[in-house]
Amino acid sequence: MMRWFSRAVLAGVLAALGIWCWHTWFPSPEKAIRKRLKELAQLASFASNEAPVARLFNCEKLTTLFTSDVKIELDATGWQQTLSGHDQLFQAAMVVRQRFGGFSVDFIDIDITLGPERQSAITDLTAKGKMAGEKDLLVEELRFSLKKVKGMWLINRVETVKTLR
Amino acid sequence: MGTSREQLKPSSWWRIVLIGRRPDFTLLRILILTIFSLIIFNFVLLPIRIQRVSMEPNYKDRGINFVNRLAYLFHEPRRGDVVAIRFSGPHAMLLKRIVGLPGETIGFHAGQLLINGRVMPEPYVKLPCDWEMDALKIAADEYYVVGDNRSMAWADHKQGRASRDQILGKILL
Repeated sequence: MMRWFSRAVLAGVLAALGIWCWHTWFPSPEKAIRKRLKELAQLASFASNEAPVARLFNCEKLTTLFTSDVKIELDATGWQQTLSGHDQLFQAAMVVRQRFGGFSVDFIDIDITLGPERQSAITDLTAKGKMAGEKDLLVEELRFSLKKVKGMWLINRVETVKTLR
Repeated sequence: MGTSREQLKPSSWWRIVLIGRRPDFTLLRILILTIFSLIIFNFVLLPIRIQRVSMEPNYKDRGINFVNRLAYLFHEPRRGDVVAIRFSGPHAMLLKRIVGLPGETIGFHAGQLLINGRVMPEPYVKLPCDWEMDALKIAADEYYVVGDNRSMAWADHKQGRASRDQILGKILL
């Protein structure tokens, strides 16, 4: 009886380990997209004391999260910006990092809708940003379109969603 | 004998203050209160911290308030209600006042609110306003919301039509 019990426990542990490994190595599209957006938030955030080399490296790395034909259309209150492609994105990221003394962004309330073929996705989320030294948060609703390119989820469009029309 | 005397000895005052006369009941009360608070403050009364000045002077920047999510259980939102409007989810919201109801036409002329072409008195607006906006039709499932601080520049003030499902609840205080 004891032997059977220990075998059952071992089988249960192995099954749980197998499921965990499967989810880690082969994450669901939703999980992979969330991870990608978390990476984006981390790379878009920067401290005031970011070293020039780190700044360059992080801006370059930031562009790798996007497709080469990415289009970004931001229309926040009193501020508009349209960017196309990696070069413009890289330049804009560098300018922002040089101009402002620190910024942190976080994505909350992420809602992912996968395309029928599970190779594309639309993600609605709320971006909560804070400039260093500012007391107020910047809050905007954004829509990300993502595409699966060579097994990786890349962002190919970002646009501001008008919460109030 | 000695043991029973110790049992009869009254507990020290600090112990009574901290854990009560019956620690097991105190623990149960704490547990019930915790569960009750978690349910109330996660699903019924959402605590919020107001940021920015779009609702001044009635709702101050940095003020604390609550969103009553059950307010519209038995009736639809009404004109004058201060409501919380969600972004993509309930963890960030806009605090605005409903001024236009579904099906109405709304506009602003010389800072005055026009509903279906008529001036609508707004006692809650205490700051001067010079806004101009052409008449706009509100759809059947939409509400027009705006802040109380009309002294802000038009371009800096978030306002517009919100669908019914975007309205999370009514402000409690």
